Amino acid sequence: MTSALIFLPFAGALVVGLAPLPRRLTELLALLVTLAECALGAVALIGFDAGGGAQYVENREWISDFGLNTSVRYHVSMNGLSLFMVLLTAVGIAAAVGVAIRMGRERPRAYFALVLVLESALVLLFTAQDLVLFYVGWEIMMIPLYVLMGVWGGAGRRAATMQFVVYTLVGSLLMLVAIAYLGVTAGTFERQALIANPHEPTWLFFAFAAAFCIKAPLFPLHAWLPSAYRESSPEVAALLSGVVSKAGAYGLITFAVPLFPRTAHDWRWLLLGLALAGLLYGSLVAFRQPDARGVIAYSSLAQMNLIVIGIFAFNVNGVAGATFQMVNHGVVSLAAFLLIGIVEARTGTNLFASLGGLANGRPMFSTVFLIAALWALAVPGSSVFVSELYILIGAFQQEALLGAAAALGIVLAAMYMLRWYSALAHEDDGERVPAGMPDLRLGELAIAVPLILIMLALTAYPFGVMDRIT
Amino acid sequence: MSALQIQIPISFSAIAPEIILLATACVILVVGVFLAGERAHLLSAAVSVIALGAATAVSGIQFEDTARFAFDGTLRIDAFGQGGRMLIFTSGLLAVCVAFGMRDLRERGVEYHALLLSACAGMSLLAVSNSFVTTFVALELFSICLYVLVAIETDDLLSLEAGLKYLIVGSVGAAFLLYGGALVYAASGQLEFDRIAAALAHGNPHGVLLLAGVAFVLVGLGFKANAAPFHMWTPDAYEGAPTPVTTFMSAATKVAALVISLRVLVTAFPRQSDVWEIGLAGIIFACFIAGNLGALRQANVKRMLAYSTVAHSGFLLTAVAAHSALGGRALVYYLTIYAAMNVGAFAIVAIREHEIGRPVEVADFAGWGYSRPLLSIAMVVFMLSLAGFPPTGGFLGKLYIWSAAVANGQTYLAVGGAIATAVGLVYYLRVPFALFDRDAAVPAAISTPNFPLNAAVSLATALVVVGFGIIPSPLIDLARTASASLFG
Repeated sequence: MTSALIFLPFAGALVVGLAPLPRRLTELLALLVTLAECALGAVALIGFDAGGGAQYVENREWISDFGLNTSVRYHVSMNGLSLFMVLLTAVGIAAAVGVAIRMGRERPRAYFALVLVLESALVLLFTAQDLVLFYVGWEIMMIPLYVLMGVWGGAGRRAATMQFVVYTLVGSLLMLVAIAYLGVTAGTFERQALIANPHEPTWLFFAFAAAFCIKAPLFPLHAWLPSAYRESSPEVAALLSGVVSKAGAYGLITFAVPLFPRTAHDWRWLLLGLALAGLLYGSLVAFRQPDARGVIAYSSLAQMNLIVIGIFAFNVNGVAGATFQMVNHGVVSLAAFLLIGIVEARTGTNLFASLGGLANGRPMFSTVFLIAALWALAVPGSSVFVSELYILIGAFQQEALLGAAAALGIVLAAMYMLRWYSALAHEDDGERVPAGMPDLRLGELAIAVPLILIMLALTAYPFGVMDRIT
Repeated sequence: MSALQIQIPISFSAIAPEIILLATACVILVVGVFLAGERAHLLSAAVSVIALGAATAVSGIQFEDTARFAFDGTLRIDAFGQGGRMLIFTSGLLAVCVAFGMRDLRERGVEYHALLLSACAGMSLLAVSNSFVTTFVALELFSICLYVLVAIETDDLLSLEAGLKYLIVGSVGAAFLLYGGALVYAASGQLEFDRIAAALAHGNPHGVLLLAGVAFVLVGLGFKANAAPFHMWTPDAYEGAPTPVTTFMSAATKVAALVISLRVLVTAFPRQSDVWEIGLAGIIFACFIAGNLGALRQANVKRMLAYSTVAHSGFLLTAVAAHSALGGRALVYYLTIYAAMNVGAFAIVAIREHEIGRPVEVADFAGWGYSRPLLSIAMVVFMLSLAGFPPTGGFLGKLYIWSAAVANGQTYLAVGGAIATAVGLVYYLRVPFALFDRDAAVPAAISTPNFPLNAAVSLATALVVVGFGIIPSPLIDLARTASASLFG
């Protein structure tokens, strides 16, 4: 099952990339592959035993004799968190492919092949139980992202990509050294075996944490983020913010903390302090952004730092909230970026100064935007509210002052999200909004509505997720 | 009278590859007198391919995990040396293919192939050499051939200049090695590596004479392995040499130099490892710094790749510095991948060079991905592998080498390597970005010529790089045998 989830998109990428099909067929094929992946994910979800731990295990040798009696194994499985991250990936990629089709990307064969490779790598890293295998997924994930950003991005794509490349790789190469160190000293690359028998020189924890915190990103390692989110095409920005950033948080939860529990606990205040600073800084900067993408980019920074607070609160509530928030924020930021993408496709801009009035006679537009905005600001009753509440409870349990300060972030979220919605939807039509611009079309609704439905489903039954994750 | 009675046992099988190559070189030279132009080129290329193929096969047959000595202990025939030989011959074979597709060497086909075969023979001898005398002879044999090969374009000033620079600097390196060997002889009274170790097994391992000798040997080998700070000839020689020659040099010279480096250090100076480890660490960091800083500034692709080979000397020497069975495996694994990456990348540079008729700059690749997608993807594979991305062999090689370094307590070398790799990305990734630059005017459709042989070489090496990245076990098994034959 897990292997099928990993290799279905990869096989799809090969076919899409190599078969000389016309544009329409290529697009259709890519969409079908991503939908099939969603269906496969749904089957995995239905068959998943809520209390059953790691499931869909596949464990065989990859490199039988690496040296020093160590082997590298192809060991993949899914626990609850993996499962929901895989589902988030499947949904996110399907939605991104939908938007890309709507936008009519140049050189569709290469484009969709890369997106499918990205999906394959993401699923691999979310399910890998061997450190080397995890690293392979982690790095392969970056290759399509670089190309998608560097080739199909906006005007400043070259500089943005280079910055992104250097930032993310400095972190991950140090992690590779740490993996080599663990493999050599412990004689295994298996996650479970390493957790059972922890080796924790301090630098190892930081080598892992650096890779994950750059990707998340934790304040102040976020310098790559604004340009990357602005210069990518909207669907790639959606994936970066919705799914790829979660890979960073996933790494913290699944590798950095359990592999080095004592070091992580000893240094938690460093990470908590940075994350709190990032939460407040990101929220404040988001409030001042002149463009729709900027707001979501910095709000994404703030939300990811909130998740880090939940992880390093070191209690059940914090971690439960963080994991659920990963799912929630993933869906919400996917929706936000994809909706911005639709606006950009119509108007050619995402500057607030030239936009506005999207709600005038366009009920679908305004409804969908409003739901995304309300969920992003964690309106009470929404699934995001639940997860943020858990994180805050966790933070209070760790230290009351921390909880109080983090709660400020929630208030700020309301400020910047309402400004975002208001600047886009209210008042008269902006200068760049074409006269008589129609409401969302069927194709666009087909992308937005499923995401909204997922948000509603998460809201209606949050414990469907939380029971499986914790 | 007694001196004349020393009987050195002759073992033809031990030097069978050298015999094949040198005999073929002679045949090519003789036949070249009677044939001219195109036919001489064709014939010498065909004969060279056969000879190199045969030499590879002979080495492959003798790929044995137990070491055997020949010629009174001056040669050590083991899987480690045979593996090095096979890599050298394969690189030579691919260099013949790369040159065959190109027009420029056609007039000098006879000389090119004869020298290439002789150089291969010298490197091959170096790979199995077990004494400072054979080491020096082998080193000079291939070096002299390479000096001429670099300058083979006699009507090209750049090529001549490169040859001259290489000659002068290379001779200094050889002198260092010779002097180092002499000092070691003075300290130990022996020339064969294993006997040196035996003679030095007792007593002070850190005698001044001996350590000076080891240092000089390191410097001498550093020149050949284009390790910093002895690398200054590299960019000029690589840039000035005809690209097929650069292709060959970048892969085969490095293999030969690294194989002998590990062999001499672990078999002759095991008790001095604490000292030469530190010396190597200094050289390794110098490689990382000089190679990366040099490559960052280059617009010319050949110069950029030249500096990249300097940086890679740092990675390869990290495996040597580990001086363990794991390090030996890492070295053999990475040398294979390294040779494939460089041969493939230079083969592609050769193609582009012929298309535009001048030295290739990174900007000359702009938009090339849209007119030659397959070759461009191969080039991307090489760059990703050089930069250490999975799923290529370059990634596993780095993991392997760093594991060996960590196991030997040299984590700082691995951390230095990680930082160097991150810096390296900046220049490696320039090439893929240029290849698929959307804004670039797509180069006019290039119909003729097609360079099928070069394309085949680069695609085959790309397959090797990716294939051994995804299914590494066969290569790792060979590397284990090779390493075991050296470390026992």
